Amino acid sequence: MVEDVTCRFEGTLALDHLSLEVDRSEFVSIVGPSGCGKSTLFNTISGLLRPACGRVMLDGRDVTGETGHVGYMLQKDLLVPWRTVVGNIVLGAALTRGVTRRDREEAEALATRYGLGDFLHHYPHALSGGMRQRVALMRTLALHKDVLLLDEPFGALDSQTRLEMQMWLLSVCEDLNATILFVTHDVDEAIFLADRVVVMSGRPGRVLEEIPIPLPRPRDLEALTAPRFIELKRQALGLLHGAGSEVPT
Amino acid sequence: MRPIPPGLRKALVRVAMALAAVALIFGLWNLVIVVFDLKPYALPTPQAAVAADADNWSVLAGLTLQTVEETAYGFFIGALVGFLLGVAMSASRTVQRLVYPALITSQAVPIVAMAAPLVILFGFGMLPKLVIVAWTVFFPVVVNVLDGLANIDPDLIRLSRAMGARPLRGFIHIRLPATLSPLFSGLKIGATYAVTGAVIGEWTASAQQGLGTYLQTANASLDTQGVFGATILLTAIGVASFLAMVAAESLATPWRTRTTARRGLRLRTGFSAARPRPAYPSRHKIGE
Ligand SMILES: Nc1ncnc2c1ncn2[C@@H]1O[C@H](COP(=O)(O)OP(=O)(O)OP(=O)(O)O)[C@@H](O)[C@H]1O
Ligand SMILES: [Mg+2]
Repeated sequence: MVEDVTCRFEGTLALDHLSLEVDRSEFVSIVGPSGCGKSTLFNTISGLLRPACGRVMLDGRDVTGETGHVGYMLQKDLLVPWRTVVGNIVLGAALTRGVTRRDREEAEALATRYGLGDFLHHYPHALSGGMRQRVALMRTLALHKDVLLLDEPFGALDSQTRLEMQMWLLSVCEDLNATILFVTHDVDEAIFLADRVVVMSGRPGRVLEEIPIPLPRPRDLEALTAPRFIELKRQALGLLHGAGSEVPT
Repeated sequence: MRPIPPGLRKALVRVAMALAAVALIFGLWNLVIVVFDLKPYALPTPQAAVAADADNWSVLAGLTLQTVEETAYGFFIGALVGFLLGVAMSASRTVQRLVYPALITSQAVPIVAMAAPLVILFGFGMLPKLVIVAWTVFFPVVVNVLDGLANIDPDLIRLSRAMGARPLRGFIHIRLPATLSPLFSGLKIGATYAVTGAVIGEWTASAQQGLGTYLQTANASLDTQGVFGATILLTAIGVASFLAMVAAESLATPWRTRTTARRGLRLRTGFSAARPRPAYPSRHKIGE
């Protein structure tokens, strides 16, 4: 999907010949040290950023530098304060082709289904952090893209809410058939959610290792403490912190 | 006694505070007169000035209306010009670099000095006065709109680009609403300036009677009661314009004060002509 991408910012090399292949409907978590270029990678895939070299391929089509092909949830929730919950969920339609009654009904159904039925017409400032994050995610879902890029969607939440949101995302994924790329700093979260964890090196960003996560689905809280999980976690942490000796072979 | 609903109570308290502020000013005014033993021809009491207004209302009503009209029309022209200029300037750096120095220069020119050329150009009618009012109003509007457009979160722009936003739709749904709050800051400042602009316009470029010209005549004939009476009326117009902007702001930016959208605004997201589909009954009956 991403081939040999290199990105530079005025002298800083952010991504160095990075390649990444993602299957249809796969959930891939990406972890890596801060500043290693994870957001840059997403900006490239979404077309916001044109790489210095390399291509972005989607279903065999070259979409390098083209926006509008994937659903992208940026590191901040970026809800617009002047739109209600429903208004924010249909923002993508409003910005591209105009909102239809159908869009609104779908947004209401989405919000109701995922626990925001009592807040359809609330403005974002009246929502909790977790709710805002959920709305931002629903807005990304409502774009109806096959590929979703989620950049630390739960980064700003406390661990309790975070866990709830992770369970929620798992349930959303079961309903959905989307390909998801998920950036996080939290190794537990990365493993818990994903089919595969990609560990990136420090700047300039390259793929250090790809760890398949063979944990069965559907996953619940039990999975977080399973011996298999701990083992995978140790492997990922070892890679992240560069301590090669800790990596079981 | 029935309890007063909290919303009404809040409003009543605010009105009471405003009245108390006016009473305080009038009290101080009276105090100054007593302490310094000022004669009525030097400084009349506010009661006397208001009473003079009331006695003279048959004449003053028409004059007040005239000044209010100049203020309002000039304000709207100035606000519109300021808004459009702000938007145009934000669209292009070149335009901004070119126009900004001209704007600042325009505010440095003494308005009184422009009166003569304006009269020569437009005659002694309404037009030169409107130009003068608009001239004072547009500047704070431009500056605030420009600031508002420049301070939009770049990530929000990035998000809308990532969504594949059309330029016009991006403007309408992201940039325009983001400008509303700073726009109203500019409008509030402009609304208070507008009356002064109208008075200067009447003094320098008018053959028509208004509160400004009345003030001038009263001044010339040492009628201090008339001077202060007119001043109080002019001040009231300024304060009323400001309050009108505050009210307009709270209507135009409901998300700043309300938790949920107003009922009338809720359906707006679904205005398109698509057939209603019974499969998804739409609900919009969530309590406030
Ligand atoms: N617009 C920019 N201009 C200049 N340098 C940038 C820009 N955006 C990112 N960089 C640099 O590129 C590198 C990668 O940034 P990026 O935001 O992709 O990191 P990240 O992996 O997402 O970090 P974090 O985990 O903290 O979000 C950083 O060293 C950063 O300084
Ligand atoms: Mg980042």
